[in-house]
Amino acid sequence: MECNGCEFRPELYYDDQYQIWVRIEDDGSLAVGMTDISQTIAGKILHVRVRRPGTLRPAGKPVATIESGKWAGPVPNLFDCTIDSANHEVLDKPALLNMQPYDAWIARVRPAKTAQEALAVLITGEAAYAGYCERCRRDDIRCKRL
Amino acid sequence: MKSWRVLDTGLRPPAQNIALNRALLEARQAEEVPSTLRFLRFTPSALLGYHQSAEQELNLDYCKANHIAVQRRITGGGAIYFDETQIGWELYLHKRDVGTTDMQAISKRICHAAATAISALGVDARFRPRNDIEVDGRKISGTGGAFDGDALLFQGTLLVDFDIEKMLRVLRIPAEKLSDKAIASARERVASLKELLGCQPDVVQIRSNIIEAFESEFGVEFHEDELTLSEHARYQVALREIDTPDWIDLVSRPADGMPVLEAVQKFAGGLLRASVAFDTLTQTLRQVWFTGDFFVSPRRTIADLEAALRDTPLDKLESRIRAFFSGRQVDMLSLAPADFVTVVRLALKQPLTDSVIQ
Repeated sequence: MECNGCEFRPELYYDDQYQIWVRIEDDGSLAVGMTDISQTIAGKILHVRVRRPGTLRPAGKPVATIESGKWAGPVPNLFDCTIDSANHEVLDKPALLNMQPYDAWIARVRPAKTAQEALAVLITGEAAYAGYCERCRRDDIRCKRL
Repeated sequence: MKSWRVLDTGLRPPAQNIALNRALLEARQAEEVPSTLRFLRFTPSALLGYHQSAEQELNLDYCKANHIAVQRRITGGGAIYFDETQIGWELYLHKRDVGTTDMQAISKRICHAAATAISALGVDARFRPRNDIEVDGRKISGTGGAFDGDALLFQGTLLVDFDIEKMLRVLRIPAEKLSDKAIASARERVASLKELLGCQPDVVQIRSNIIEAFESEFGVEFHEDELTLSEHARYQVALREIDTPDWIDLVSRPADGMPVLEAVQKFAGGLLRASVAFDTLTQTLRQVWFTGDFFVSPRRTIADLEAALRDTPLDKLESRIRAFFSGRQVDMLSLAPADFVTVVRLALKQPLTDSVIQ
């Protein structure tokens, strides 16, 4: 599925600005990544930093930071969690976030409450698709991949 | 007409200036304050980009011996030396102020406006892609940005007067051995207003030009103001995190993870030397410098090529050099674009030794 050339995956969970996606992993952790919208806005990503495994991250405090074209900023976090692991492939090759935004997860985290409670603050499925397309149209975002 | 705020937070040590970056960006994100232009100055400081490592970028022994404080910015970009001879300017904006979500377009727009302000002093300042403002190929203002939700911070330096030798000693770049030739070569890449104008420029005039240029660019009026109480409170919290060794060491990688490699080669068109700061983890050329004994016209070509090669993945080296030369008219006598590729490739196989730096 797509809008304005921005790929959308209905099985993932999103924040209301469609900056990040979240997916439940087999081991119960949550994988966090950037959407096609976010990687397009950022441009070519040169650095990614993930907080150390074991670090507590309250809602609002980023799990990771990125840098592209001299702009540095957070990958937002919407629920209390602990960092489980970082994707070392992405740390070694940050441009993977631009090439395969939905395969290149950034961090896996353990939510402080249950995974279902953490996902409850996010949007998925049809509702997310409508919101995702609305964001693309409102900000005239046309996605580009590296 | 919309009214934006101007702050001047004066001369401060770097931990305070960076804590104010965090506080003002957070306050803008929370919509507690209007969009803001801030002027600032630093006591002698070596400032790392947010994702850089002090060990890889700086000559820490020199900084310590010379009381140069090391700090980490919250903005991206490269390490810089900042002291009382430079002016800093910063914009704190909401994304709706800039009318686009394209981050590269935002930096370009702000840099164009800043270049207009600098040009009004009597020099021909222009934006050079990759976020530098230059005069005739020489960098006069370096910039970097940070974002947090819908709030943006974009900051720049302006070299009013400048101690180039000190900059070279602070930054871990190939000229660290500091031959006269290396200093002369670095001098060709940066410029200060004092040098270009032949006299000490009037700082009040510089400020007023920058204010006018941003007023005109964004269709707003600026009014002088102070920090708000909420910014003071946010500042105190930020300072407790930033004024610590942990913050400076937030990213810490050994210096040997980014060796400075060098090679020199004689070609039909002359002697060409390449120095490369190479990130072994990501196989990326962070920075490349070319010196040697060869003819090139226009002279700024080398500085432009160096700028174009910043952060180049190793597998893109050849295509970037080709694309650079195919897009412009350059006279290099017998020197060929492929020679630049050859000397960089040689450098990547050859560690820096005393014998190659004269």
